[in-house]
Amino acid sequence: MSGTDYSYDEQGQFFPIFIATIVGIVTIPLTYTVLKPSSDPGATAPRIKTDYRPEHADLIDIQRKAQKKKERKLKRIITVVAGWATMAFMAYLIYVTARTIPKIWNPYDILGLSDSASEREIKSHYKQLSKKYHPDKARPDPAKNETLESINDYYVELVKAYKALTDEEIRNNFIQFGHPDGKQSFSIGIALPKFIVTDGNGKYVILVYAALLGVLLPYLVGSWWYGTQRMSKEKVLIESANNLFREYDEGLEEGGIVSALSTGLEFQNALKGDKAESGLGKLESRILAEGTATPLAGGLSTKDRTVLEDLDGGARRKALALLWAHLGRVELDDPALNQAKIEVAPIAHALNTSFTAIALAFGTTAPILASYLTGQNLLQAMPPKASPLLQLPSITPAIAKAIEGDSRTHLSLQDYMALPEAHRKKLSVGKGLLTEAQYKTAMSVAKQLPRLQVEKPFFKVTGEKYIIPSSLVSLVVKGRFIPPGSQDIPEVNELDLEDIDPDEDDLDAILGRKKKGIKGAKSEEEKIVQPPLAFAPYFARDYSPRWHVFLTDSKQGKIAVPPFTFTTFDKPIYDESGKPTFNMQTLKAQFQAPPQAGHYTFVMHLICDSYVGFDTKMEVTLVVDEASKGADIEADDDISEPDEDSLAGQMQAMKSGAPAPPKKKKKPESSDDEESNTEEEVDDTSDTDTDTDEE
Amino acid sequence: MFGVDWWGLALPFAYIAVLLGSLVTFSSMSRKRRAAKSANLAPWFPPHMQRNIYLSLLHLEPEQGKEKSPAVPESIIRAALLRRAVEDIHRIIQIRSAKQACSTLLQRGSVGDDLWQRFERAEKEMEDELRDVVTEANALTPNWGQTIFQSANEIAAGTLLRKKLEDIQSQAPAEKEWWERRRASIQSEFMKELEAPGGSDDDAVLVNGANNTGSIKKKKGKK
Repeated sequence: MSGTDYSYDEQGQFFPIFIATIVGIVTIPLTYTVLKPSSDPGATAPRIKTDYRPEHADLIDIQRKAQKKKERKLKRIITVVAGWATMAFMAYLIYVTARTIPKIWNPYDILGLSDSASEREIKSHYKQLSKKYHPDKARPDPAKNETLESINDYYVELVKAYKALTDEEIRNNFIQFGHPDGKQSFSIGIALPKFIVTDGNGKYVILVYAALLGVLLPYLVGSWWYGTQRMSKEKVLIESANNLFREYDEGLEEGGIVSALSTGLEFQNALKGDKAESGLGKLESRILAEGTATPLAGGLSTKDRTVLEDLDGGARRKALALLWAHLGRVELDDPALNQAKIEVAPIAHALNTSFTAIALAFGTTAPILASYLTGQNLLQAMPPKASPLLQLPSITPAIAKAIEGDSRTHLSLQDYMALPEAHRKKLSVGKGLLTEAQYKTAMSVAKQLPRLQVEKPFFKVTGEKYIIPSSLVSLVVKGRFIPPGSQDIPEVNELDLEDIDPDEDDLDAILGRKKKGIKGAKSEEEKIVQPPLAFAPYFARDYSPRWHVFLTDSKQGKIAVPPFTFTTFDKPIYDESGKPTFNMQTLKAQFQAPPQAGHYTFVMHLICDSYVGFDTKMEVTLVVDEASKGADIEADDDISEPDEDSLAGQMQAMKSGAPAPPKKKKKPESSDDEESNTEEEVDDTSDTDTDTDEE
Repeated sequence: MFGVDWWGLALPFAYIAVLLGSLVTFSSMSRKRRAAKSANLAPWFPPHMQRNIYLSLLHLEPEQGKEKSPAVPESIIRAALLRRAVEDIHRIIQIRSAKQACSTLLQRGSVGDDLWQRFERAEKEMEDELRDVVTEANALTPNWGQTIFQSANEIAAGTLLRKKLEDIQSQAPAEKEWWERRRASIQSEFMKELEAPGGSDDDAVLVNGANNTGSIKKKKGKK
């Protein structure tokens, strides 16, 4: 077929449809992403209620707003608006061009008849019309903008139409093919406007084509590729992550981690040009001044001080000094410096996440714990090893020191709140201490903080009585949210401490649990409860607290089971009036049991990454029994006998490493067998459930 | 003969030439850039001071105006080599402990590719360094090469232990001072309470005093 057989879209009637479709494919999903409810925890999570405003709260608010603006996906919104505008314009074009297409000459329309009119009707109708519109009879009506000529033309049209309809052949053509000339040829059109192929435009088309394929496509692919290469998985610049890896050392403590964080390239970008040096002298004199509770106002140890002073000047030194100023809550008396001080904390927090990942890869416990503590310190603006009381509003290092007295160990928030009310008040309120109103605010905040108290941790294998080597063990941590200073805490209900397996025929629950294991315990329940946003008045971001559970080996000082992270819970933490509910929460972490039988003692760490001093550390023992013991017990139960060639039988054989013994327990994994619907089976399963619950 | 339209053929050939040319240029440029980048990567370890000392001792330049270079005693050269081996042990331990972590982090995308390249280069350099130390040791004393790293390892471990001990002991004065102060304050409070009372609340004070001594004893016991 030669090119001339194609008809191009000369009137441009298809081209807009084509464009509108293409634009729509891009725009409609984008619109969804713009309009869908944000997953940002700040939007939905409750907040801790307080009217406390720290110093420079205005600066912090400005930064929070700026961050929100940044997250508002401005580019995407502009694209969406442009897309809809293009689509609207195309729709307009479609609407307009549809009218300009010349209609096929249709004699029926001209005569004002329906297509089914018979010959007689046509004739009589024509006679009536010709009486009315004959140029000899009709008079031009200036009101209708008629002239003699137009009347004449109209009459000629009428006559033509009549002639056509009275012609047998033409009328048949109309009836059969809807066209006066008979059958129309089938034509293929290309939805491109003709100007694209007209002579002389070819080179421009090639130019556009080359620009699209040779420039735009490589640019997009390249920017995507280098964009992914530039950032690490923890959303920090890859070079910062490299630096952090180089800074890692087994003996690092919190102070050392803060120094390591200052290697981040993000600081260089934030402190560009003369910002890198300005005010450094003043800044350093402030943080190295004598502090009230710590030897230095910034809370640096002598080691950290030498690290700071050994640095060359420039962005890194300033970033480190600003970080210490943030941690020590040092007033800098300079709006630009104060602004910078607030800015560096979120950057350092992000870098610390990356450092935690690096420490986890090394697997040594001490740096991992130190990096979690650094995260808490950065969020709460507290120097390492400072009093946890500083987390309460209005409490300064001096007041914290006065409350704690001359003690070496710090008073934790929960211990402080557990003091008798009168004694606590006597310690905290007074001259140079808190005022009555400040004390009240501090107490109200303390009583809202979500502290997860572990009631019982234990190990279990779902649906089994014993833990056998290499099985998939769940670490179940039962705990309650008990804010410091809560009174009338109900006794632990023993039933709550048990972890009941879902029924075997409850496939959803089993599948749901499996998912949970893979994803790291995201609650699958319909009702997901978010804990309140972290109370961190000095941190310029909204942050939703996370809880990390991991096991370490205390003898080797290494991590045994990497952290499982919990952000949401399945039962409400507070009721409507803000009172704690003391509901029993369940945290589950799944891991593979060791390949040998024996007693394994781990140290379980439960760390809340937003508050200092709310961490739990306790010893747990995992008892792994011989595989044969599990099989023996199962053999004693005469519950059901899966055939040897059934799925359950084969699994049993695989597990015990021997041909299936004559009597075996039915495995919960086989619950998707077709027989599991029978009543007998349901009874069996409930039996096994009660058996396996006790650990 | 065939009527070949050479001018018409020129266009496709030009197209192919431009295409291949641009690909070749791109490839060679990107190779060069990558090579330059990896050559400019910062070394993993800081300059090896102990090795430099050893080498400069070995190749001492004669002082000005003198024919012969000063003779360095054999024992000093040997000590310098041992120091060099100790530093190598530190570096090897660092590399060994970092290797696993580095590769897992690289797989996860938590660190970058050039870190791995730097790491691999450092590893290779260390291998060469070890071989060099062994040959040097054998040259100084026959068969020393087999044992030099054992002694170096022990020296490294001993230094580490001593450093830890020093760290702990350096905290002692501060702790002692704090405890003295604490004891003094408790004592003064105790004395004050003994002296202060009027006749009426004797009993209460006695109880208080007993409590205080109790706490002191407990603290002492803990220490």
